[in-house]
Amino acid sequence: MPISEAHVGRTYPATVPYEVTAVKVAEFAAAVGDADNPAYAGDRAVAPPTFAVVLAAATWDSLFGDRELELSLSRTVHADQRFTWTRHLRVGDVVHAQLTIDKVRLRGPAAFITISVQLSTTAGEPLCVATSTLVHTAEVAA
Amino acid sequence: MSSIEVGTAIGAFTTSFTRTDLVRYAGASGDFNPIHYNDAAAAALGLPGVIAHGMLTMGTALRVVTDWIGDPTRVLSYYVRFTKPVVVPATGTVEVTFAGTVTAVADGVATVTIEAVCDQIKVLGSVSVEVRVA
Repeated sequence: MPISEAHVGRTYPATVPYEVTAVKVAEFAAAVGDADNPAYAGDRAVAPPTFAVVLAAATWDSLFGDRELELSLSRTVHADQRFTWTRHLRVGDVVHAQLTIDKVRLRGPAAFITISVQLSTTAGEPLCVATSTLVHTAEVAA
Repeated sequence: MSSIEVGTAIGAFTTSFTRTDLVRYAGASGDFNPIHYNDAAAAALGLPGVIAHGMLTMGTALRVVTDWIGDPTRVLSYYVRFTKPVVVPATGTVEVTFAGTVTAVADGVATVTIEAVCDQIKVLGSVSVEVRVA
């Protein structure tokens, strides 16, 4: 059965531990056009706030890899995004992320899927919740 | 930041995106959805062309706030709706302009909205950033 309200509440295993490194933080800062901010440089740099998406995107593999849902990344657009931080990620943090399906609304071939990704250190300190609404459009048989 | 009131303009800037910027963001973020670099994938979804990652626009927009407050760890929450896609041509650039305004101040937290405009169309909606200012 493709994705439906029956999948609300489904949670996937946490990602493998991810170590936040200075090189990756600098790479991400440059990608959002913010390479010059000194906060994002050095061995104890803070990550740009939306760096949390790196962990969130890693959890998407579990969603799109869940064959029961019949979802394809290439048929998905991002409708909205919220981040709420308890503490911002820093270089040296070892973190993981876990995705939960919060809400599913079907309208014809489109599925509006709300997911939340909890980021925390592997020691259990909560860092950030990233909540996204994704719109998936199923292929309609010709 | 001496005087923060509702209506305070906190800054503005214009940036441009190329396909190379989308590929760079894909690599940095891990979001390899082909609609952000492959014309056929974008067309298959009915999009007018390859579009920028909403998260690239969102991440870029936040510089309005972080340049204003200095310390990015003062950002408490950030919400956007991706209302219109930013179409990025195969060659050349597309410009997006960002501007931030304070919409509320309470208990040491300022709420800021950011307007993001591409080709005279707002590409982000309902933008709300909560920032600790005291």
